[in-house]
Amino acid sequence: MNRLYLLIARLRGLFRREKIIDDIHEEMRSHIDMLTETNIERGMAPDEARRVALINFGNLGEKRELAYEVRGGGMFETIWQDLRFGARMLLKHKGFTFVAVLSLALGIGANTALFSVVDAVLLKTLPVEAPEQLVVFAWYAGQPFRIGGMSGTSNVPKPPGTRGLSLFRYQVFEKMRDERAERPDSPLRDLFAFAPMSQLAASIGGHPEIVNGQVVTGNYFAGLGLQPILGRAIGEEDDKPGATPVVLLSHGFWQQRFGADPAVVGQTLKLNRQTFTIIGVTPTDFTGALQVDYRPQLTIPLACEPLLRENSNLGTAKRPGPWWLNVMGRLKPGETIEHARDSLNGTFQATALELMPPPRKEGDAAQLDPKDYPRLFVESGSRGMMDRRRNYSGTIFGLFTVVALVLLIACANVANLLLARAALRGSEITVRLAVGAGRRRLIRQLLTESVLLSALGGAVGVLFAFWGKGALATLADRNTGILPSEVDLNLNWRVLVFTLGVSLLTGVLFGLAPALRATRVDLATSLKQGRRASGTVSRLSKGLIVAQVALSLLLLVGAGLFIRTLYNLQHVNLGFDPENLLLFRLRPEQTGYKDNRLVQFYEQLFQRLDNLPGVSSATFARVSLLADDNSMTDILLPGEAENTAAEHGVNRQVSRENYFATMGIPLLRGREFTSKDDEHAPHVGIVNEFLAQKYFPGADVLGQRVRIDKREIEIVGVVADSKYMSQREEIKPLLYTPWHQELETIGAMYFALRMAGKGTGMEAAVRQAVRELDSSLPVTEVSTQAARAEATLGQERLSARLLSFFGGLALLLAAIGLSGVLAYSVAQRTNEVGIRMALGAQARDVLRLVIWQGMKLVLLGLAIGGACGYGLRRLLEGDYFSSRSWQREMASQLYGIEGTEPIILVVIALLLVVVALVACWLPARKAAKVDPLSALRYE
Amino acid sequence: MKQSADLLQGTLDLLVLKALSLGPLHGYGIIQRIRQLSEELLTVEQGSLYPALYRIEHRRWISSKWGTNETGRKAKFYSLTKAGRKQLAVEERSWDLLSVAIAKVRQAN
Repeated sequence: MNRLYLLIARLRGLFRREKIIDDIHEEMRSHIDMLTETNIERGMAPDEARRVALINFGNLGEKRELAYEVRGGGMFETIWQDLRFGARMLLKHKGFTFVAVLSLALGIGANTALFSVVDAVLLKTLPVEAPEQLVVFAWYAGQPFRIGGMSGTSNVPKPPGTRGLSLFRYQVFEKMRDERAERPDSPLRDLFAFAPMSQLAASIGGHPEIVNGQVVTGNYFAGLGLQPILGRAIGEEDDKPGATPVVLLSHGFWQQRFGADPAVVGQTLKLNRQTFTIIGVTPTDFTGALQVDYRPQLTIPLACEPLLRENSNLGTAKRPGPWWLNVMGRLKPGETIEHARDSLNGTFQATALELMPPPRKEGDAAQLDPKDYPRLFVESGSRGMMDRRRNYSGTIFGLFTVVALVLLIACANVANLLLARAALRGSEITVRLAVGAGRRRLIRQLLTESVLLSALGGAVGVLFAFWGKGALATLADRNTGILPSEVDLNLNWRVLVFTLGVSLLTGVLFGLAPALRATRVDLATSLKQGRRASGTVSRLSKGLIVAQVALSLLLLVGAGLFIRTLYNLQHVNLGFDPENLLLFRLRPEQTGYKDNRLVQFYEQLFQRLDNLPGVSSATFARVSLLADDNSMTDILLPGEAENTAAEHGVNRQVSRENYFATMGIPLLRGREFTSKDDEHAPHVGIVNEFLAQKYFPGADVLGQRVRIDKREIEIVGVVADSKYMSQREEIKPLLYTPWHQELETIGAMYFALRMAGKGTGMEAAVRQAVRELDSSLPVTEVSTQAARAEATLGQERLSARLLSFFGGLALLLAAIGLSGVLAYSVAQRTNEVGIRMALGAQARDVLRLVIWQGMKLVLLGLAIGGACGYGLRRLLEGDYFSSRSWQREMASQLYGIEGTEPIILVVIALLLVVVALVACWLPARKAAKVDPLSALRYE
Repeated sequence: MKQSADLLQGTLDLLVLKALSLGPLHGYGIIQRIRQLSEELLTVEQGSLYPALYRIEHRRWISSKWGTNETGRKAKFYSLTKAGRKQLAVEERSWDLLSVAIAKVRQAN
């Protein structure tokens, strides 16, 4: 307790400095007066009395100081003094301060920005009651376990050699739910399930649009402990078959589409042609517990899912649905994850095995070995579903490394500048040391200056990070996929605490070495020498510059590689003509079209599209090209029996008759599809050259028959190879079939219109054409093929941009550092320069001297950087990193760069040399202008 | 057992607290009284009193107030607090223990 009083007293002492000094002074004066009085009484003369009194008292100055030490601000006061002094020094050297703060702000700001991403993606917990009690369920089983069908995202950290999902069948969930309800001693208070339902065709107030939603069980909101801010939540009574369909809006959706109208409860909207009643709005910061980049705008009961899906995922007892539900639970207070897992594992295992589909291939055992039985796996659910978070964590840490490197460079920069400047302050420091300031005190004071610098840098850095949120948004662009889109990146207290910590750490980091060095001075010699306290630029300084140059080289070469990759991908041979192609997507199946009605709809639409002015040709297909979209099937070649181990996976495409002509894919042999290839005619197919070569080498593929899904297809044509999923993917076998013969799977199609000219206003014409046929059918994903191709390259483009930005930044920092250090070196060595010039050196020689001093370091840095880069490449090529690590992933992003690496290296090295020359030239010029007389005089 | 530096400090504390236990005094007065009580055996260097005094005041064993002395001169008077009285008892006790211990050591042959 006493310590606290002491601290408080010290703090008060800090503020009442003057008063305390006066108080002490007066008290001591009064004491001495009284002593004097006594002496006078004893018979001394007044002067003598006073003199003796003072002697008896002791050294007044010393006593006053000792007394003040007890009562004064103590530690606080010294810190305050240091801060004031530091601030004065920083203001005195404005140029240095500006450069240092800027360097630090860039480094710290980048780290802050990235940490806010880490926080939003990996750290933030759900805004619900007691999130630490939530758990997420998943499972894994041996490879022989047969899953059947699945739908959704899953990324479970399962043991090697097993398969597993974070998704559950409805029937399995049901049994688990019942098991939990039956046991009053279950460790779980609630067990609930949910799943995304994306791309729903909504009609709000008559306007069609596509929305993302989720289905939840009746106890979802109770389990999460969430109250809606308007209306009521979905409850058990809503989650029954036959109950009135209800829907909850997300806060954002309510604001955007309904203008935050409080009267929204009770209104209705349509989803896939079904009517839903709005019963409430969820809280502001709640976006579901689903994957980090999925934010449902609507929430509906699970029981309503069959209303929206043709083939409900709920399935029946006879035909169970796929693995598609996310399952979460809430633990009772004090319960553990293991207990929860054990309490449901038995039921889960039994049900999963019961519903396992029969073996597909001959020779597969019907029964499973117990070691392969599926097992539950439970983990914390405080952040919701973790699968996509795990996907992103790799990239995020990769980026973090780059950014941390930049900060390191900035620190090295500032450290260098501080070192150089400390050398100049040598005389001041030696004098202070000579009059008795403790070395420790001086170091503390120099460190205070550094921390002040970094604190300023941190504050400005936060500002940069705030402004840079826009740039971060491009990182989170849906197309690039490097970071999850739609993530809330805000600078909350966790981020600010992080920034503070980093700032302080950097301050100490770059300030320590210079502070130690500056105070390690040999007093006698330095006092004699005056200004030149420590000779030349220290080795530490030089080392830092070399390191900066090496790092810059690495980053910029990386940038160069990615730029080259981007160029390669943009100029790869696509196999079709992407210019002037307008794309859009329709999903008539969502609004109830099928069979004849569907065919009729398409034909009517094409009548309109074919005749639109400006359209030279209109077609459609099931898979959109260069959009990371695909469809695969297994085919059987002639002579192969069913259920054999032979299975050939090929890519599939279903298209209109004029597809090849419209897309510009040349027909090599045989014929194209015609309108005669309808559902009554024999089934036909067209393959790409690759498939023909792979499965029918040497033979003529025309006339051959293959089998898919128990149908027989005759190959009637061969077309040229073309890119399918992306520019970088290699060519794979591709089988085309005509749309009339694939009526089951044409419920959603991608349209492509070859335009005669630029096609301005075409989008409106298309929407009009669709609206004329059906005003409730949304037209989505409108784009051009060229834009789509560019979007697929989003990640590469982003990597190129990021590395260029950071590489350029590193280079700038290194150049500034180099320039600064040389400038101070020149300032120190004015005497030497003066002597040389007096002895006959020309300005030219001085210039060369200084420039060479700097360039030596740069060349060394380039050599080291080059060696590191080479070593890095060998590391990546070898197997030191696991194939799924982010290092490997980044390396595999490069495309077609073999052979160009040396060129890129040389180009970047030259760039660095040029920049360095400029950086060296500036201070060199100043040196060359030195007047020998004044330099020598200024001893 | 206390360390030797603490011992010195503790001794001074004890003297000051004892001096003030008989009534409030100013700094000069404290020194007089200590001289008095020890019958001239102990003299404290005048100026060194103050750091000790302020330290004791920080620990709330004494409190201070400006007033006037017998001759009308302004002076700062110190008086013992309740906590100070308790501390005095503690210090006296540990001093007694110390002297007993030292006596025992001296007697040992």
